[in-house]
Amino acid sequence: MDEEIIRYDNVSIVFDETTIIEHFSLPVNKGEKVILRGPSGSGKSTLLKMAQGYARPDTGTVSYRKHAIDAETAWKIRQETAYISQDTDIGEGIVRDLIAGVFTYASNKSLPYETSLNKYLALFSLDEATLDKDFRTLSGGEKQRIVIIISLLLERTIFFLDEITAALDGRMKQQVADYFLSHKDWTVIAISHDEAWYREGSRIIPVGGN
Amino acid sequence: MTTPVIHLSGIFFAFLLLAIPVFIMHKTHLPMVRETVWSFLRMSVQLALAGLFLTVLFEYNNPFLNVLWLCVMITVAAYESVRKQELNIKKLYLPTFAAFVIAVTLSLIYFEILVLQDGGLSEARYLIPIAGMLLGNSLGGTIIAVSLFYNDIRRNENRYISALSFGAQRTEALLPHFRTALKSALKPSLGNVAVMGIVFLPGMMTGQLLAGLSPMTAISYQIVLMVTIYSTTTVCVTLAIILTSYISFDGFGMLKKDIFLKK
Repeated sequence: MDEEIIRYDNVSIVFDETTIIEHFSLPVNKGEKVILRGPSGSGKSTLLKMAQGYARPDTGTVSYRKHAIDAETAWKIRQETAYISQDTDIGEGIVRDLIAGVFTYASNKSLPYETSLNKYLALFSLDEATLDKDFRTLSGGEKQRIVIIISLLLERTIFFLDEITAALDGRMKQQVADYFLSHKDWTVIAISHDEAWYREGSRIIPVGGN
Repeated sequence: MTTPVIHLSGIFFAFLLLAIPVFIMHKTHLPMVRETVWSFLRMSVQLALAGLFLTVLFEYNNPFLNVLWLCVMITVAAYESVRKQELNIKKLYLPTFAAFVIAVTLSLIYFEILVLQDGGLSEARYLIPIAGMLLGNSLGGTIIAVSLFYNDIRRNENRYISALSFGAQRTEALLPHFRTALKSALKPSLGNVAVMGIVFLPGMMTGQLLAGLSPMTAISYQIVLMVTIYSTTTVCVTLAIILTSYISFDGFGMLKKDIFLKK
């Protein structure tokens, strides 16, 4: 029996009095890799934000493990799933401190992130010296990889990824996409225009734009 | 030694000094004449009323009247601190008011019992100026801090959302924005404190010196008040942010759009 993780049911999004998404329905089961494809402004990012309760549908429902997402479940979802927005501005200060800061949160305190940190840096071709730089001085691609690394260090298995390879070079796009798509038990909903995500086993869902 | 009284003719000659800026503005076509004249007239009327009012207040020296006046000051301070920001008064007034009441009341009690020691704060002529200084100074800090706090979250929404998605509780995600706000609120006071006595003599000290108090008494008042003001501002800012945050966020932890005034 398939285990349902997220389900969009008849979701509509109205933005500035224009309906940009109407009757969007999508069930996502455990282990599925879903790629949302559509023109910019089609509401894909808003759909993804709904999964963690940062946005709410104007009509319809979004449910997580068969429970409609409400104020209470939203906080639980944020602890259990990872969301990466397309905006890489996650804070300021030295990268190492920024990462350490995430692991001072009560819910992450017990995670031994330091041991895995170097492994991920190497995996995504980041120099260890990057950790001692000011986050704001990093390039777009470096920021994107740091954000990805933080979400991996959190050891979650459900991912909502919004254009996380946009600023990476070709080889690195492949590397990141492969990493997320290759874990059989990971559930991934990704928005991307990059070919690296479009491959066998990915479920491609068109959004908006007709 | 008594302080010389300023006669009506003296006030007249002081006002005559305004002729200099007015003359220069006129010659240089700087359109500030009306504003200058109007502002000083307004100030004079306001101060005259305050003078009358304080005379009555000091005359009666009635605890009930004093507390009533204190309430009026706090009401206005809370109103000003919300009005000066692009925030919705109806929503945020009560928590801001509560922050001022708690911060100022606690400070006054502490100041009365442990700093002044032999009391005196029940006297209108001590209570009103000291409470006024505490309020006036924490008002500025609170305006800066609360406004910066909410604007910082709105401007850097992605940082806030990222923190939440990394597993932060609301308080944990708000902490960086609180730090930014408190820092900006306290920075100006620190700058002031650093040059005090060298670059300028604070108004209260000048007043006490004019009233014939010894410089040592005047500076000790200044020192204890500056410290009290600093900690009152910190308490007030912290409380105002904590209390307003209860109504500024929805159950999902998202900032409610209606706490801001429409652009």
